[in-house]
Amino acid sequence: MSDVQTIDRAELQDYWTSAGAKRRLRKRYAADRRLQAYGVIAIGLAIGLLGILVASLVVTGLPAFLQTKVNLDIYVDPVKVDPKDPAKGNFRVLVRDALLAQVPAPETDQQKAALVKILTSDAPYIVRDYVVAHPETIGQRITLPIAVSDPFDQLYKGVIPKEVEALNWTQERWFKQLENRGVVMAHDGRVFLKLDVYLDSAKVESGDFTALARDSLQTYLPDVKDPGLFAMLADDAPEVIRQRVEAEPGLAGKSVQIELPVSAPYQQLAEGKTPMVLNSRFSPAQIAAFDALIAKGLVILPFNWELFFNADSRFPERAGLAGAIAGSFYALLVCFLLSVPIGIAAAVYLEEFAPKNRFTDLIEVNINNLAAVPSVVFGLLGLAVFLGFFGLPRSAPLVGGMVLSLMTLPTIIIATRAALKAVPPSIREAALGVGASKHQVMLHHVLPLAMPGILTGTIIGMAQALGETAPLLLIGMNAFIPSVENMGILEPATALPTQIYSWADSPERGFVSRTSAAILVLLGFLVAMNMVAIALRHKFERKW
Amino acid sequence: MEAKVEARPVVKVEAPAPAWEDARAAAEQHEIKMTARDVNVYYGDKQALFDVSLDILDRSVTAFIGPSGCGKSTFLRCLNRMNDVIEGCRVTGAITLDGEDIYAPWVDPVQLRARVGMVFQKPNPFPKSIFENVAYGPRIHGMIKSKADAEEIVVTSLTKAGLFDEVKDRLHESGTGLSGGQQQRLCIARAISVNPEVILMDEPCSALDPIATARIEALMEELKENYCIIIVTHSMQQAARVSQRTAFFHLGKLVEVDDTTKIFTNPKDTRTQDYITGRFG
Amino acid sequence: MIGYILLAIIALSLISYVIGRRRALASVEGRQEELHSRPTYHGAFVAAWVGIPAFLLVLIWLALQGPVIDQLLLASLPVGTTEGMDKGQIGLLLSEIRSVAAGNVFGEPSLVVQEAAERYQRWQMIARYAMVAAAFSLALIGLFLASRRISPEFRARPGTERITTWLMIACSLIAILTTLGIVISLLIEALRFFDRVSPLEFFFGLNWEPQIPIREGQITAGGAFGAIPVFAGTLLIALIAMAVAVPIGLYSAIYLTEYAHQKVRATVKPVLELLAGIPTVVYGFFAVLTVAPALRNFGEIIGLPIAPNSALAAGAVMGIMIIPFISSLSDDAITAVPRSMRDGSYAMGATKGETITKVLLPAALPGIMGGVLLAVSRAIGETMIVVMAAGIIATLTANPFEPVTTVTVQIVTLLIGDTEFDNPKTLAAFALGLVLFVVTLALNVLALHIVRKYREKYE
Repeated sequence: MSDVQTIDRAELQDYWTSAGAKRRLRKRYAADRRLQAYGVIAIGLAIGLLGILVASLVVTGLPAFLQTKVNLDIYVDPVKVDPKDPAKGNFRVLVRDALLAQVPAPETDQQKAALVKILTSDAPYIVRDYVVAHPETIGQRITLPIAVSDPFDQLYKGVIPKEVEALNWTQERWFKQLENRGVVMAHDGRVFLKLDVYLDSAKVESGDFTALARDSLQTYLPDVKDPGLFAMLADDAPEVIRQRVEAEPGLAGKSVQIELPVSAPYQQLAEGKTPMVLNSRFSPAQIAAFDALIAKGLVILPFNWELFFNADSRFPERAGLAGAIAGSFYALLVCFLLSVPIGIAAAVYLEEFAPKNRFTDLIEVNINNLAAVPSVVFGLLGLAVFLGFFGLPRSAPLVGGMVLSLMTLPTIIIATRAALKAVPPSIREAALGVGASKHQVMLHHVLPLAMPGILTGTIIGMAQALGETAPLLLIGMNAFIPSVENMGILEPATALPTQIYSWADSPERGFVSRTSAAILVLLGFLVAMNMVAIALRHKFERKW
Repeated sequence: MEAKVEARPVVKVEAPAPAWEDARAAAEQHEIKMTARDVNVYYGDKQALFDVSLDILDRSVTAFIGPSGCGKSTFLRCLNRMNDVIEGCRVTGAITLDGEDIYAPWVDPVQLRARVGMVFQKPNPFPKSIFENVAYGPRIHGMIKSKADAEEIVVTSLTKAGLFDEVKDRLHESGTGLSGGQQQRLCIARAISVNPEVILMDEPCSALDPIATARIEALMEELKENYCIIIVTHSMQQAARVSQRTAFFHLGKLVEVDDTTKIFTNPKDTRTQDYITGRFG
Repeated sequence: MIGYILLAIIALSLISYVIGRRRALASVEGRQEELHSRPTYHGAFVAAWVGIPAFLLVLIWLALQGPVIDQLLLASLPVGTTEGMDKGQIGLLLSEIRSVAAGNVFGEPSLVVQEAAERYQRWQMIARYAMVAAAFSLALIGLFLASRRISPEFRARPGTERITTWLMIACSLIAILTTLGIVISLLIEALRFFDRVSPLEFFFGLNWEPQIPIREGQITAGGAFGAIPVFAGTLLIALIAMAVAVPIGLYSAIYLTEYAHQKVRATVKPVLELLAGIPTVVYGFFAVLTVAPALRNFGEIIGLPIAPNSALAAGAVMGIMIIPFISSLSDDAITAVPRSMRDGSYAMGATKGETITKVLLPAALPGIMGGVLLAVSRAIGETMIVVMAAGIIATLTANPFEPVTTVTVQIVTLLIGDTEFDNPKTLAAFALGLVLFVVTLALNVLALHIVRKYREKYE
């Protein structure tokens, strides 16, 4: 066929053993190892990020599972509470008196009101509900655990600090600059800034010594535009200037060196300490009162059952997930009742009965496309058709369930078809062979065998539906539900994921930890559902 | 000597007359290229090969025959350490190439497989162009430094494989668009492109039609001038047609190895005789 | 109320089942063998003809009752009441009438409204009773007609099975109905939007400020609906997400398919799938809680101002969510490359890395590309992460440290709040929704096409 030349074997041997060959080989293996390393790094990154996600949720969320409360000793004064109509009693005063009895007495009414703010604003209603339920306590002393308000809850749990640094990094830098210029003096237990003060005649006339002090300081740090700079001067700094001017009136219009005292935080800074100041959320009186309560052992930190049994509230310390869980339950119930029968029926038809023509192809393509449509589009559909055209009530679990069922339908259809496909044809043939009709084969033989797979797919579909947020937001299913009493399938409701969204938007610190806690509850449900699905799959898995 | 057979006639196979009449003289003309001594292969706990020992001569075709599952493919794969790729596979014993143990720890399987090439049962060209298929091996082994190098190697390999004339106008079309026989010749060209010394062929014609098979067998005849070729085949007729030496495997053991003419006319072992007369398959 | 009606229908169907069954047995005096079909099928046949028509009637009645009564109500108002009102105001009027009728009275409703509310209440009651009567009569007619057909020769089982088949077909059609519903509702509202705002402005305008003052008489003045910044923001965040997800996902897939032990693969794969199971609202909160502050601090350290709702924060977290899409689909694509390719490459003396990069990845490329396109589609359609972590103001920028807004964010922000159906704000959301639907659909179809067309046919 063609000329085949002989190959020089000796040359070949050299090629494979040469130094160049060895080097090439090393490079090739190095590239191989690099690829492997990239793979490990990638997996490490993915798992690491997941870990960070879970860790940050757990760290911020765990405190919300506990709630700081005060065991308040309350005298249910029959004067204030009418036994015939306990609900209308003046519980606000009862709570106030009970609290003030335990703490150092404040003077003004304003201070009294500030102390009462240690407790949750809901406190009167908590007491009211208890007394209404137990009218025999009127005239008695009772001890009720009353939740504290959010700032104190966070304080007691250590989430926010009692004292914060008084000076930030920039302010410390200003002081440092002045120190470097050598104008910081310390004597007689106080720290001073030895500054050149220009005694502007006009200002001396008008007695505006504050401006003189500020201007002099400004000249040393001309680039600083922040008016907070002037807090560096003590309150009596202008006074010092005034005294100097009074002592030597002839200095007006001239520049003279005056030692101006610095304010307390900078004094501490000069002494090498870190200046701390009380967290501005608390007043000193409140802190004293709170410490007194702690010293008396009245402050407890029990498990926060209210998180699960209370409905939503404006106050984070009283907010709970009861409304959200109930709403999600109703919506998922509707979703299940709609999507499972319809999904199984459709899947059975497509898999077992439908002729293979273009129409059924179209249906299949449709189902696959629907599975990939963004969830927010389903929300738009719900808004336009269910709310707009059919006029169903906004924010109702029925509508939420209907929208969710449209989203879950493709999942269930696909899972059911897979389960049906897995049943071997021999079962069908055997049943047909004894004279069963196609329907009977399906109902009596194939469907029961496919049931575990269908159940697994259903549970997974429900779990996905539980986590859906966007479509529920669009149909308004994140109403503020302060009480679970009037909930129904047509009443406004909220759901677990939309509640998380609402709480995430709230600024209070307490809602941050509650949002994480709510997420942990949601994830708990999801994990449980998936475990059930996996257990089902293992238990009923059959190897045909 | 007539074989002792009852009712069935002895199958007399006409082997193509080799260039030399005397087998011993033939052995002296060919060097021993590869040897195996006491090779055992285990897949997990199951043992697939038992104490296989044989010599393979250079510049000739050696055929491995035997019924399904007898271990001939397994042994073939030991010769280029392709069994390393299979998890749980263990090889003991010594296999040498030009006198050096290929399983020695300092031997790199990557280089070994350039010296011992392989063609598979089902043609498996890469989903690349014909050109790139053939250039693949030389590229990764650093044999190609310029476009001219690549072209030369590709043209030479395709010519040696007898495929060049058919594909010279469509070198940059996909290799998977060729017919079965052409694909197999492409795979042979690919194997040749790195200048191997040994070419292993695992049932190379079993997926091809008779015409393509004939072409490949003719190719083998040419290639054996320059390469040591080892072929596994389940067709005794093919073994008789193309090979100079034949080894018969059965149930993981090497039963008999000898010149092809001897094996098919005068086997020493009854098992060999039973196999070639069709008593079992 | 509706619940009771449905329960009544179910009860009626069960009773009819028993009646049907009894009649079937009675017709052969207890000798079951003489019936063509088992008695249970006779019963089911009757029950179906009783329950299904009544149920359908109730459904359709309920669906149409609202719009029909609304139209009648409007027609019954004194002439001139609705003169000069646009559709939004008419809608408000109807809502007011409905609220008053339900007992929620705010302030002093006008006499016209009060009278209309009374009429509404009366009509609701009439409609409700009429529906019950109609459903009941339909059920009874069904009972009568169906039980007449019962006889020993009556082919009840095929009859029942025919009904069942039609039910199943109806269920299958729901998928098509849903798609139709989506397309039609989006189209209608989007077209109403384009009536007010020209498509040119929408698709090519650079200014997105949909703040429409909702005052009497104001229509479209004061709002800019140029959507290019919104589209650009969507693309920017999607790109950042892909930049995170593709390397991590692809290298993970390569390692898991080719390098990892079976046990490692079995434990790591489900963990990666976990990332896909986490609800997106959780990712959104994670972005706000941890990622955005961390990025901002990092920016402070290196002197780069990073906004708290930067595209980088939202995009990075979205990337984490998308990792399993890429890794899972790439894994499938690489595993689908047959062993013979790998064998062929190793036999040529290639290292594992060379086999992967030069043979496997090119062979798996269509599958991987399909996976990437599907992931992009998912990133574009993702809502909660960007609603919580990205911005609301539409700025046209390529800087990942600045805040941008996306199509999904705008849809949500435009619709949360009042939902007057004629406000251009609301309609703009539908126009955006239509664009989103079309684009994600196109990407999915393209992905499927690429995978089908370019996948090598390995026999």
